Amino acid sequence: MTIALFSDIHANLPALEAFFKDLDSKKPDAVYCLGDLVGYNIWPNEVVDEIRKRNIPTIAGNYDFGIGRSSDDCGCAYKTDEEKANGAVSISFTNQIVKDDQRKYLRTLPAHIKVEFQLNNDKFNLLLVHGSPRRINEYLFEDREEKSLLRIMQDADADIMCFGHTHKPYHRTLEIADSGTVRYRHAINIGSVGKPKDGNPKGGYVLLHIKENSSIQAKDSISTEFIRFDYDIEKAAKAVEDSPLPNAYAESLRKGV
Amino acid sequence: MKIILFSDIHANLPAFEKGLKLIDAEQPDAVYCLGDLVGYNAWPNEVIAEVRKRGIATIAGNHDAKVSSLTAMELEQPGKNYAYKLISEDNKKYLATLPAHIRLEFQLKGRTLFIMFVHGSPSSNDEYLLQDKPDREFISVFENANADILCFGHSHKPYYRILDKGTGPRRFKHAINTGSIGKPKDGNPQGGYVLLTINENANTEETDGISVEFIRFHYDIERAAKAVEEGPLPNEFADMLRKAY
Repeated sequence: MTIALFSDIHANLPALEAFFKDLDSKKPDAVYCLGDLVGYNIWPNEVVDEIRKRNIPTIAGNYDFGIGRSSDDCGCAYKTDEEKANGAVSISFTNQIVKDDQRKYLRTLPAHIKVEFQLNNDKFNLLLVHGSPRRINEYLFEDREEKSLLRIMQDADADIMCFGHTHKPYHRTLEIADSGTVRYRHAINIGSVGKPKDGNPKGGYVLLHIKENSSIQAKDSISTEFIRFDYDIEKAAKAVEDSPLPNAYAESLRKGV
Repeated sequence: MKIILFSDIHANLPAFEKGLKLIDAEQPDAVYCLGDLVGYNAWPNEVIAEVRKRGIATIAGNHDAKVSSLTAMELEQPGKNYAYKLISEDNKKYLATLPAHIRLEFQLKGRTLFIMFVHGSPSSNDEYLLQDKPDREFISVFENANADILCFGHSHKPYYRILDKGTGPRRFKHAINTGSIGKPKDGNPQGGYVLLTINENANTEETDGISVEFIRFHYDIERAAKAVEEGPLPNEFADMLRKAY
């Protein structure tokens, strides 16, 4: 079966609409959303509505958690004073425009989803989180030390762990060799639909392929496809510029940073 | 949030189509299927196609899980196996890769709540968790599976039971049998599904943040029963649809 995973839409409706169009052409068997529906653009309510309309199982991102509770803290790790000031404008603006019903939805989203497979007399767990299993706003970057990544997955009983939050997609296959047997764990960052930061401004999501012979003992039996799609970036960037949001967010969208 | 749960469609397209129409009208936030898409009737491919087209998160029932292990000879046997013979190769692969369980972890107001979806029980897709299961035995099923709300189907007899440990953390356990969309066995031939609502104050020390509603609906039972009678499937399956046993 093919499972589509997407996250970090960040109120970018043109990107979400283009994503759904692309997704429908791929005909996945199941679709999950790993959070951060809101923040940084002008369509938080519309993005929530579209995802609800499709009944997509969705977990909370850190921005959803903050807005759901009308907090002025999104749990974002802003580095510079300028980023902090811009971030304060974004969360305040988002809190102003998000409506009660959409806020309530964000507030009751689950934190994690675990999908437990039993294939070929073997078991493996697919864990879906926003940041990490430990914290909704922990960043798991591609250069994370292998030992640390393995420990996080082991503690969470996850053989395949999918997450977003950094907006930089990757799939790392980690080998565990003990007492003569070799097993593999998969750490998969699914990128971002509406605010990519890997230098490529196209929206992104992941297709995860589970086959009849998929096993944690066969390295390539669990595979991913990183899909990038075009969308009307100018429409999303102009919406930022025509709003009280900082213009820096429009530039981020144009450059994918 | 509003979660719709359904299961045990058993290749009954008229029931499934009607059920989906009503589910859409509910405007739920998420929909999960607890398995047994196939067996007992003539539309396995149509039912699977609809579930796949909608991308509904689905777990394997015992009927779904056994399809890939049936031999060519078994599939040719007259009678009930015709229901599996109809399934396309591509759909067989889909059934063979369905997960066994799905878990949701909620953290509402700082309190953790675990929901688990299984077909039969956490330990087997072919085990029945019936309404009269003794409290203590039932509570240990929850504790072994680390679940506070356990949702399952398989018996085709819907019920909701709140189990109370009396004291201690994670005191209340919720057992929810989703019944059956396409082959009810509780004497009521209407199709059925469940609406589970998790409120923002849901937790394991009180029960009022969680609500469960059973929806039953009319569908064209005669169309489903006749499809059985007009094909090689045992006629008894048609009688079971009409009388719900």
